[in-house]
Amino acid sequence: MSHPSAVRIFLKTIVARAFPRFVGSYRNRTWIVTETLLPLIGTIAMIYVYRALHAPARYLGFVVLGGVLLAFWQNVIWAMATQFFWDRGQGNLELFAMAPTSLAAILLGMALGGAYLSLTRAVTVLIVVSVLFGVAYSTSGILPALGVFILTICALYCLGMLLASVFLFYHREAWHLADALQEPIYFLSGFYFPIRSLGAFVGGVGSLIPLTLGLDAIRQLILPGTPQFIPLHWEIVAVVGQIVLYAVLSQVSLRYLERLARQDARLILRST
Amino acid sequence: MDIAVETRALRRVYKTRSQEVVALDGVDLRIGRGERFGVLGPNGAGKTTLIKILVTLLLPSSGAAFVDGLDVVTQFRELRHRIAMVSGGENVGFGMLKVKEQLWMFSQFYGMPSNPAKRRIAELLERLGLSDAADRRVSGLSSGMRQKMNLIRGLITNPRILFLDEPTVALDVGAARDVRDEVRRWMAEDPTRTVILTTHYMMEADELCDRVAIVNRGRIVAQGTPSELKQQVQQNAIVDIQLSPGRRLLDALREVDGVAGASVAEQDGIDRFTLLLSSDAALGGVMRIVEGSGREIRGLQKREPTLEDAFVKLVGRGMAEEEQG
Amino acid sequence: MIATIAQWRGFKAATWLGWEISSNWTRPLMFLIYSVLRPISAAFILVVMYRVISGRAPGTTDYLAFLVSGVAFWSFVQYGFAGLSNGMAEDRGEYRMLKYVYTSPVDFYLYLFGRGLAQLASAVASALIVLVVATIALSLPIDPLRVNYPLLVVGSVLALAAVIGMAMAYGFLQLQAVDAHGYGELGASVLYVISGAIFPITVLPGILATIASLSPLVYWMELIRRSLLGSHAIRMFPTLSDADVLLRLVVTTVATLLLAHLVFSWADRRARRRGLIDMESNW
Repeated sequence: MSHPSAVRIFLKTIVARAFPRFVGSYRNRTWIVTETLLPLIGTIAMIYVYRALHAPARYLGFVVLGGVLLAFWQNVIWAMATQFFWDRGQGNLELFAMAPTSLAAILLGMALGGAYLSLTRAVTVLIVVSVLFGVAYSTSGILPALGVFILTICALYCLGMLLASVFLFYHREAWHLADALQEPIYFLSGFYFPIRSLGAFVGGVGSLIPLTLGLDAIRQLILPGTPQFIPLHWEIVAVVGQIVLYAVLSQVSLRYLERLARQDARLILRST
Repeated sequence: MDIAVETRALRRVYKTRSQEVVALDGVDLRIGRGERFGVLGPNGAGKTTLIKILVTLLLPSSGAAFVDGLDVVTQFRELRHRIAMVSGGENVGFGMLKVKEQLWMFSQFYGMPSNPAKRRIAELLERLGLSDAADRRVSGLSSGMRQKMNLIRGLITNPRILFLDEPTVALDVGAARDVRDEVRRWMAEDPTRTVILTTHYMMEADELCDRVAIVNRGRIVAQGTPSELKQQVQQNAIVDIQLSPGRRLLDALREVDGVAGASVAEQDGIDRFTLLLSSDAALGGVMRIVEGSGREIRGLQKREPTLEDAFVKLVGRGMAEEEQG
Repeated sequence: MIATIAQWRGFKAATWLGWEISSNWTRPLMFLIYSVLRPISAAFILVVMYRVISGRAPGTTDYLAFLVSGVAFWSFVQYGFAGLSNGMAEDRGEYRMLKYVYTSPVDFYLYLFGRGLAQLASAVASALIVLVVATIALSLPIDPLRVNYPLLVVGSVLALAAVIGMAMAYGFLQLQAVDAHGYGELGASVLYVISGAIFPITVLPGILATIASLSPLVYWMELIRRSLLGSHAIRMFPTLSDADVLLRLVVTTVATLLLAHLVFSWADRRARRRGLIDMESNW
């Protein structure tokens, strides 16, 4: 019996699953308020902490860039990794799971749809806070920084898929764990300070999160005077390695945990 | 017979920290291609578990199941192209999408080309009288409209086997009839299509299904055409008695010689008893019990058997009693 | 009397429900880690930011104590404000039970107060542990025997009443939106900036500093630091005595509660007029 190819279904699924997110962002504009104001206020609060300490201007830049990448981390955690928790509660998960598509495509669609909001949020933080507080960047580093940013986001989304597979199985506890891990991740990734301040060991542990090294590399590229954690080129190599590692792990994990979920009835439980 | 669905000694146990619940206990089924097959039983009988296994969402604890010739455990990826499921009372999807957008989204998960999918959606919306609602948001639909939309979702991708899990639950009479009519029409379009329907509405199974399996406590207690099942009680006299409220009578009635089964349902303050009598002579014993109870007889009729009567005979109790445990 | 007993039962049920919703998903140990991990990390972020700039110069522990005490007690606002206001949206959208509570004879204020108290209970453990861990790890000048407990308790009771009042009003305002996801956190983060929790409000630009000075939270933070740290407290209001700060807290709390009542009543009427209490917010 002939049916559409797996690649075709994969691509169509990504577009279709991203669709409600795109539509939602203009049909329900209240989201835009929280998506932009919340990170903006959080970033500004941290700027004032440095201001109170009379920190050099580049430290304000550290906070701004941290705020930019934070938007994508939150998208990955709340709009991707934990999303199956909500989908199961609504009964969507079982319809996704019994379609001849892959859960990875569903996740990528969610992420793509959410990335639009994250980008709005990131650009708002970047422009508003930089202008308000007079943060300057090295223009020569902007293009390479953009390249590192794209690599970092790829690695981040691969990690997001890996986490989603775990959350698929551990549902509510995992959701709360993601909630509980927000600040620890901000700490370990050095969202508000150079990662070098954490020292080799803690910084090394934090480097397992793709944002850590990506953020440090971007800072090195556009904020001269950033204390170097490891050399820039090694940071880029590490981020590329994380893309491969997390992509492979996420696929293996999704398949394995989807089977476990079928076994333990976790695709069909509706409890939240 | 060309087989659409087959299960062999299918068993499913749910384990929690404190207990094990056997939802299916050795289910053997053979459903032919082109059949409208009903799985009938009270809530908690195992119907939904059976469906979830057949649509690849749940693995059996033991036994085997094949749908369209494919093993649900190992060949699930191929199988998912060929099936669809619609459950009653579903609230799935995204409330802020329009009806046609939501349907399009689900069609894409099956890789359908966009334009043919949109044409098919428009055609099905028209058939189910939902054309005017195509541009309405899903969150604003009534439960009847929502269920029709869900049925369309199941039909867009033209599945070979359609699973309907309590498709008319909580619908008003008109919406339930529309859903049943569409299922009939869809089946009539192609004789190789198969529908597996779970329900606890006896009338629905009687009206819609070619064959029915009665499930109770995870086991199939009987299967056959509705008329075959009803024939099991054909030799019995079916008597409905309406009594004023009073002390419990059901157990005493079941003890009467010649009573093959009895059930009771309370409605509008009156207890409506259904008795399956092996001969009319048993009615005398029944009347003595009723008179002794002091309860007033509000009505008494003898009538043709239904599937509900077959259930009472097979299980010994009414469906409502089974649901209450 | 019977009515009072019924209200008391409603209040107890609301408190129990709030606690169950916050904690029933896991084992107690996991819940403890959950309650502690976030504020500890939030405190350490500030500690590292401070150390990056100031190193270990003399007098640094006073400023660290300023930061840590602010973050530790901020848990009460985070849980009480965001938790309660989000709880109202969840009761409507996720659990779909708000309409049943609203139409029950239990006073709605009392129900929400119970839900809010349960949220605050979660904050107690996290605040205590942050203080203990940070005091030991950073040698902060906090001596449990020298803490001015009466001042701490009176200040906190007043401020938490204001927090719950604000959360009730804000929660009802949230119900005006189809989807209020994230609004609780948004409100809490605005309060964070103007409360003096992690920096003195003097660094804020003029208009924000003025708004901050009208918030009871800023006086509460000042009293917390004075009662915990004594002479080591970095003061946001050096010219005010303890009694002056307490008086300002009382005045701003009463004003906040009055304002919250007005907003709540308006939002309540509007919600009923527009049928928002049982609106489906699923998407």
